[in-house]
Amino acid sequence: MNNSQHPIARKTGLVVQEVPDEVLVYDLESNKAHCLNQSAAMIWKSCDGNNSVSEIAKLVENQAGGKVTEDFVWLAIDQLSENNLLEKQIPSNFEGTSRREVIKKIGLASMVAIPVIASLVAPQSALAASSCVCNGPGACNLNGPNGQCPGRTCNGAGLCVAP
Amino acid sequence: MSHTQQLTDEYRYYLLRKRHAEGLIISAFRGLRRNGIDPILIKGWAAARNYPESVPRFFGDIDLAVLSSDYRRAQHLIEGEKLGGIDLHRELRHLDTVEWSRLMANSELVDLDGERIRVLCAEDHFRVLCVHWLTNGGENRERLWDIVYAVRNRPALFDWSKCLDVVSPMRRRWIIATVGVAHKYLDLELDGLPFADEAKTLPTWLTRCIEREWARNLEILGLETQLKNPRSFLRQIMKRIPPNAIHATVDCEGDFDSGYRIGYQMRNMLRRLLPSIRRISSAMREK
Repeated sequence: MNNSQHPIARKTGLVVQEVPDEVLVYDLESNKAHCLNQSAAMIWKSCDGNNSVSEIAKLVENQAGGKVTEDFVWLAIDQLSENNLLEKQIPSNFEGTSRREVIKKIGLASMVAIPVIASLVAPQSALAASSCVCNGPGACNLNGPNGQCPGRTCNGAGLCVAP
Repeated sequence: MSHTQQLTDEYRYYLLRKRHAEGLIISAFRGLRRNGIDPILIKGWAAARNYPESVPRFFGDIDLAVLSSDYRRAQHLIEGEKLGGIDLHRELRHLDTVEWSRLMANSELVDLDGERIRVLCAEDHFRVLCVHWLTNGGENRERLWDIVYAVRNRPALFDWSKCLDVVSPMRRRWIIATVGVAHKYLDLELDGLPFADEAKTLPTWLTRCIEREWARNLEILGLETQLKNPRSFLRQIMKRIPPNAIHATVDCEGDFDSGYRIGYQMRNMLRRLLPSIRRISSAMREK
């Protein structure tokens, strides 16, 4: 276990919106939206490149007011890395162990909510609102008569985006 | 939204999209203003201002209108700043007939994270929202809520005469009929509106057209974009025959209360025929 790592939260290409008890993040590069619960958000904000995993655990422990282990921080870092929310990818610290098992182990030892990063799926109302619609693989067209959407392509989520 | 209220994923997604759009709006205003262009934000974000905080009003592009003579330069600047998702308008074209200088004089500045964003005054914007909804042939049921909330949450000093008496009687009737449609289908309250009775009198062809479009639930798409999909191409052709009566009437600056739609529909079809053929031929050549 490499607890001397100093993870850095990604800052560019993201839209961040704080709401009570959560931080919402939209990745403009992958067009994916994430929802970080309070624990994951606290850890993400502590990833400033100066704090080591052990130091982040202490910081979060002070803020959350409950015991936080390094595994707890690693669980968040794993998810942050997987969702491309860190400057550099960090290899998983739980090789060979399923996340379910890790969560079970950490959950039993922790009084603080397990860090969770959930993906948000674009609702139909959001897709309909776009004046450019995907109506075929790669084909973005203006949602109206006679229109085109130059320079836009359909992404995996069925949204028209600028490349 | 109340802190105790559970956020839905739809609302979370909306907050992110709104935040992103607001960043774009600020960048666009700063970029254009640095170069002496003063844009007016219409539809989308400006319409969403009328919605209750708990109701998400998704919007796609950011619609910015600029003075005609600034249009080309504004287009270059937007492209240069690499601001995707900005839909630039050369003044308001078909959306309104009031002169740009007057719209500008009436316009208001609202604060967005420290940037002053120019929007049309509530009276002028209401006309734009109504005409835009009609221009889309009344297809978009969801967007009719723009009209509902614009009326429900209008400023205390909203002046209906400033809104309706500055356009032709024909356009005045369009606006009132759109309010009537919002009343009929989305229960917009008409009490206290100076034109309540007129709004309740909707031409049969108008409601028939709306109901047909909503039942069909088929978005209009550029024919040239459907060349690879013959079935969809055919459906799009069928959708255009006969042309949407609302779109055709508005396109011909027509009268909602005159007897027949056929004249407007024929004119609209003829007007669109040649450009459509050109676009289809061009798309086929590119293939």
